[in-house]
Amino acid sequence: MTRALTIEVLFPEVANLHGDNANIEFLAQSRPDARVIRTSLTETPAFATGDVDLVYLGPLTEHGQLKAIERLRPHRQRLVELIEAGTMFLFTHNALEVLGTRIRNDEMGYDVPGLGVFELESTLSMFGRYNGKVMGTLTEVGDEFPIVGYKSQFSTVTGPDSTPGFLLAERGIGRNPATAVEGVRRHNFLGTSLLGPLLITNPHLARWVLATLDPHTEPALAHEALAMAAYEARLRDFRDPKRWHPVERVAPPRR
Amino acid sequence: MLRVLLAIWAGKLASATLRALGRAGTHVPGIIARRVHPGIIGAVAHPARVIAVTGTNGKTTASNLLAAALTAQGLRVASNRNGSNLAAGVAATLISAVDWRGRSRADVGVFEVDERSAKLVLPGLRPDVLVGLNLTRDSIKRNAHPAYIAWILSSAVPTTTTLVLNADDLIVAGLGSDENRRVFFAVDQLPGDGDRPEGAAVDAAICPVCDHRLTWDYWRYNHIGAAHCPACGFRSPEAAYRARDVDAAARRLTLELDGEARTAALVNENIVNVYNQVAVAAALGVLGYDRDTIAAAFDRLAPPETRFMADVVGDATVVRILTKGLVGVACSRAFDYVRSFAGRKSIVLSIDEVSERTTDVENTAWTYDADYEYLADDSVTQVVVGGIRRHDQALRLAIAGVDPARIVTVESETDTADIVALDGIDQVFNLHSVHNAEVTGTPVQSRLRARLAEREAAGR
Repeated sequence: MTRALTIEVLFPEVANLHGDNANIEFLAQSRPDARVIRTSLTETPAFATGDVDLVYLGPLTEHGQLKAIERLRPHRQRLVELIEAGTMFLFTHNALEVLGTRIRNDEMGYDVPGLGVFELESTLSMFGRYNGKVMGTLTEVGDEFPIVGYKSQFSTVTGPDSTPGFLLAERGIGRNPATAVEGVRRHNFLGTSLLGPLLITNPHLARWVLATLDPHTEPALAHEALAMAAYEARLRDFRDPKRWHPVERVAPPRR
Repeated sequence: MLRVLLAIWAGKLASATLRALGRAGTHVPGIIARRVHPGIIGAVAHPARVIAVTGTNGKTTASNLLAAALTAQGLRVASNRNGSNLAAGVAATLISAVDWRGRSRADVGVFEVDERSAKLVLPGLRPDVLVGLNLTRDSIKRNAHPAYIAWILSSAVPTTTTLVLNADDLIVAGLGSDENRRVFFAVDQLPGDGDRPEGAAVDAAICPVCDHRLTWDYWRYNHIGAAHCPACGFRSPEAAYRARDVDAAARRLTLELDGEARTAALVNENIVNVYNQVAVAAALGVLGYDRDTIAAAFDRLAPPETRFMADVVGDATVVRILTKGLVGVACSRAFDYVRSFAGRKSIVLSIDEVSERTTDVENTAWTYDADYEYLADDSVTQVVVGGIRRHDQALRLAIAGVDPARIVTVESETDTADIVALDGIDQVFNLHSVHNAEVTGTPVQSRLRARLAEREAAGR
């Protein structure tokens, strides 16, 4: 039996860069019965006091990252509990860094602790923005439907490779140019720096997300035929070696 | 000093050589000069007064208007109006404004400065006045987000510079430091302004003091408008220079000029150009011109070139709109412009980025920063999308609410003109990007005109 989903979008007034909040618009169009809660910075998050099926945080400015840390810090333990309990989270672009242990930005003059949910440190280089593509597999979605996405970011993230990634990049770089491990995966927590918006550029991933959120309902995507056509076209391009640049490779380890 | 002269001579020689070869040479001399002396922008003699103009949109128009206004006052004006707005272009212009012995030949310099390049330009240029027009989202890859560009500008601008800032852009209004003198300009509430922001790209939604959502006194587009915080009382700055009573039909507007009003010729009714005009008025005021001189300056200024063009063929119109792909905000303005036309419309859309066709795969995230929702209107009978990323565009249109039955995709950008349905339409729009204006835009518009002429001849 279909059950109503509750999706919480955190701080959309500041976490809204790079068109990424369309991830949630796409889910909402795919599940018109879903209740979408948009929690502003000055409100208490819904996940803090009630049940939410999916918590989303999108791309932020550097200042916005600090605001998000400040506002989420009182709810750190609740976040950990929900992640461990299997609640689904989608943190995209630099939102994941909020949950790391440290964000260092020498050029803007700060070095602050994150929420410390994951063992990740972020270092921002404000005049060294990385732009590139990433392709890799998410096991549950299957290797016939690799995830395709883009990076466009000031930050590199370091953390133990033992912290499972969202995916392992077959092409492109991971958390930083020295690893293919991209983002973070913990139960149903999906944290990735990839832009797209990810669920729109990866309809098979969107279907898996919907199926995970509501296992008793056959997932159906809004505009599924158009989404699949766009995915197939992009995948063909991503599989073309000519479209990959040397900078989009994991650097070999230094001897 | 010798190195400065060597850089000047190298730049001038390069410029002369390029001219002899029939090339413009607007930035190469600057590149060469900066190789000889990386600090040449600061080391070369400057005109007696220097004004820099920056912002996401309108800086070419505003700096050209300002340069023309100052030229009309009999001043010798050095300006990069025809050249590059990057560091090399600024250096080339400065070098062109000194003689072979390095002595300035200009009374005033007016420089359009690329906002992303401010760090390389402003510390050396040390402008007396910096005009900040607006900061909205631009290329995700290059410009990231407006707050990043604001940080670059604030880090780079000298504290001695007087800032002439758009009070209706809360990101621009916060530029500089407390040490900078600030003068604000604005456009008063206009018919058609909203009272709350809409769209994907609103970058000043919260109070910078207490984080509460802002309440808008009037909202124009993106984060442009006047706002206040209901929680702590923060509000948009008061503007000493304001435009109001914009009368497009009479081609007049009223300018409030630091306490007194004057009517003036309206240079162009596009809202971005109204902001440009009042920004120029404010800059002239800061430079010490009296109100009558400022108001009269606009009588002689030519309107800027438009990115829109319309051809009437029979009872229908072909409208060309240059639509900068990769820049969602620019696309939103184009889509909103399409919406503003009355009547039934069809659209030919080809705004892929050519540089990414063969050696990259375009990051289409920017399409979700663009408000395609403006095209989800019953008056739009069909959208034909051509190009490599046509499926992404079609999906974006559908998510925006355009009926999928009205969306047609075709691989060729130019075949779109043969496919688009023209029966019963009042306008057909061709939205193309900068790079494909000639290879796609020109043949598409030609074919559309021909088809409409055939329709007219057949009496349909």
